[in-house]
Amino acid sequence: MVFVLCTLIDSMGSLCSRHRHSPADPEENEQTAEIERRIEQETKAEKHIQKLLLLGAGDSGKSTIFKQIKLLFQSGFDEAELKGYTPVIHANVYHTIKILYDGSKELSQSSEDSSKFIVSDENKEIGEKFSEIGGRLNYPPLTKEIAREIGTLWRDSAIQETYVRGNELQLPDCAQFFMENLQRLSDTDYVPTKEDVLYARVRTTGVVEIQFSSVGENKKSGEVYRLFDVGGQKNERRKWIHLFEGVSAVIFCAAISEYDQTLFEDDNKNRMMETKKLFEWIMKQPCFEKTSFLLFLNKFDLFEKKVLKVPLNACEWFKDYQPVSTGKQEIEHAYEFVKKKFEELYFQSTSPDRVDRVFKIYRTTALDQKLVKKTFKLVDETLRRRNLFEAGLL
Amino acid sequence: MAICAVRGAAPATTLPSQSLYYLLYCAFDSCSFIMSYELGDFPVLVDWKSDFVLLVKAGVPYLIHKIPRPKGSGFWLVAIQVIASFNLLLLIVMAFGYVRYRRKHWWSSCYIWAVGICDFAHRRIPWKGCKMLMLMYSSWCIGVVTFLGNKWKTVYCSSSREQASKPPLPHENTVDHPSYFHYIAALVGFTAAVQHIEFRFHELWRGILVSACCIGVWIVAYTLNEIGPNHFKIRITNHGKPKQFTSFLLLAFFSMSISQPLASLLSSTKKDKQDYSMMSRALGIPDSGLLVQEVSIQSIDPNEPFDKLLMDRRFRQSFVEFADSVHIYVELLQLDKIPVEDHVRRIYMARHIIDTYITPGSTMEVNISHRCRQDIQSTPDMAHPDLFKNALNELIQLMKMLTRCGRHWRRGVSAAVLEMYLLLLLPYLIIC
Repeated sequence: MVFVLCTLIDSMGSLCSRHRHSPADPEENEQTAEIERRIEQETKAEKHIQKLLLLGAGDSGKSTIFKQIKLLFQSGFDEAELKGYTPVIHANVYHTIKILYDGSKELSQSSEDSSKFIVSDENKEIGEKFSEIGGRLNYPPLTKEIAREIGTLWRDSAIQETYVRGNELQLPDCAQFFMENLQRLSDTDYVPTKEDVLYARVRTTGVVEIQFSSVGENKKSGEVYRLFDVGGQKNERRKWIHLFEGVSAVIFCAAISEYDQTLFEDDNKNRMMETKKLFEWIMKQPCFEKTSFLLFLNKFDLFEKKVLKVPLNACEWFKDYQPVSTGKQEIEHAYEFVKKKFEELYFQSTSPDRVDRVFKIYRTTALDQKLVKKTFKLVDETLRRRNLFEAGLL
Repeated sequence: MAICAVRGAAPATTLPSQSLYYLLYCAFDSCSFIMSYELGDFPVLVDWKSDFVLLVKAGVPYLIHKIPRPKGSGFWLVAIQVIASFNLLLLIVMAFGYVRYRRKHWWSSCYIWAVGICDFAHRRIPWKGCKMLMLMYSSWCIGVVTFLGNKWKTVYCSSSREQASKPPLPHENTVDHPSYFHYIAALVGFTAAVQHIEFRFHELWRGILVSACCIGVWIVAYTLNEIGPNHFKIRITNHGKPKQFTSFLLLAFFSMSISQPLASLLSSTKKDKQDYSMMSRALGIPDSGLLVQEVSIQSIDPNEPFDKLLMDRRFRQSFVEFADSVHIYVELLQLDKIPVEDHVRRIYMARHIIDTYITPGSTMEVNISHRCRQDIQSTPDMAHPDLFKNALNELIQLMKMLTRCGRHWRRGVSAAVLEMYLLLLLPYLIIC
């Protein structure tokens, strides 16, 4: 951060120098002094704050974790903020139905078993309408009437079949949840619940930060963390580099349910393979020589459901996976396999001189508040331990 | 060009008018070829070697890199281009030592100039640049005609003493065979008609250089040929090196496309300045004090239609975090200002936008879906007014959702992002 600010000052110097020649700029001088003072203050305050980075590929649940932190360790969302999510949730609904309808049309043309993707005639009209609305810039408000129509379309067998093939369509994970709650979402005095907000899907662009203390905002005794959330798509990653300085821990989110999905930004690449590549790249960053790594194997709830239907070896990385049994045992087995793969990857991509950095794997479901809270307690403990160790007290 | 297309570097040339253009181009070449045959200029030897090399070069990328063979019109376009290139190569070869000295008409090599022009035309110069180029070209043509004409007369007169049959004088034939000029005129006409350009900025200089070299070599060879018969040494040079040199250059010539309009080259400095003003405006970097970014956002009603909000300068300033999205928005606004009929400028702007914001890995790549990107990159018509509509919709939806969540309102601009933009801006400041 200090480095960044220094550069900022330098650049600003060059910026301002163009105007130095004009005689009357006491205001500007004042401003420069003010900026310098602020930077000094910030640098001082900065020293005690631990910097956490949320990294990971697109749609891996970084922002959901971020929202959870806000709920858990900060004041949460006030009503205005919750209401602000209404258009987002509605947009998610319109977006989902458009993807599903367009997807069914495409599948009915291309897939072998095309007949089951043909939407019934009476629903076709509704489908076309929402396909058009979904492409618009401004969505109409979600009224009861519209919600009913969307509900009818959603229950169409062709759409349901398409939903099963959702992994090919860039369908947001929130699809089912919102579709099943359409009635509630279309209430005139609808205020999104915490859960709705957590489910709402928005691609993050740029960098967002939040400051929190794991003990709670009010008690200042605990360690203070600053958490940075970033966009995960490829184009967003060029913005990460600026955050890499002075990071105490990286929380790497990997959605383990994504092993049969392709990237949002590139339909030809498997998401898990991308996560693997990204993980390796981050491990090798020279800035992270002493940084702790906390790997969140996220979206376990979806993984649980998926792994019984779609074999893990659908992904190239897990090719050598052999299912052993069924039910819960199988889920555990598959999870352990994925975990082992990530562990192997970590040790492969870590040079021997860095082995003393902390590496921990957590099984998470970002939507599950209790689990996230528990995980963060663990994270907090680990980081404190690390700090004490570094200070030579342990 | 042919090979360039084979490589897949110019896949967007699938306009019907373009395929028509290539067909006609090919037909014209064949015509001139037949004409020259009838006039008795058929080469005794055809340079099979360079033909072979050309073929190999066209085919090798498919074999080595296993590029999927284009199907349908894609394949035929390439095939036609290859055949057309063959024709051209043949014509050039004919211009060297293989042309019979006992030619009936001195200007029967006129088609070669036509081919020269055709090649520039082939690279589809926009009309504004075209005027300029035509001026340059015609002066060059006139120069060559007068020079060669005089040369020919002297050579011809001296050789006519040895030979019994005396062909008619050049200027008489000009009237008899106006078809060559039709040929040139038609080419020029087609150039004007086909203005949908595939832009490749960085290839411009290379392209011009190679074409210039090519033409230079050709002139040298031709001139040597014209004055050559009495000087043994010159003749050897003529039949040996220049030919090989030229066939080599020709390969290079065909393996790249200059499609950047000349107009943009002529005004390159102007463009930079434009960019600067645009950049600074779009970034909303004020003249003093970078930290006063959190300017009275409250005075803007966030519930206004989003596109209206984006028109507000202060709102855009507060939005630096979405800088890439805002940038593309501003540039798209400028694209919209270009009239639909002005294909050339539209395509140039569109190409610039694609290179900067859409191509994966580009400097200001925006966060859009694969499908959207794919649609834009594989468009058959770069001048289409709705080309970026979907991408823009997606981006605006995204920005809208992010603001609605209130995530980007509370904080100003993070220092990191600011620094990034300063770094981006520095070159422009230096220029200024």
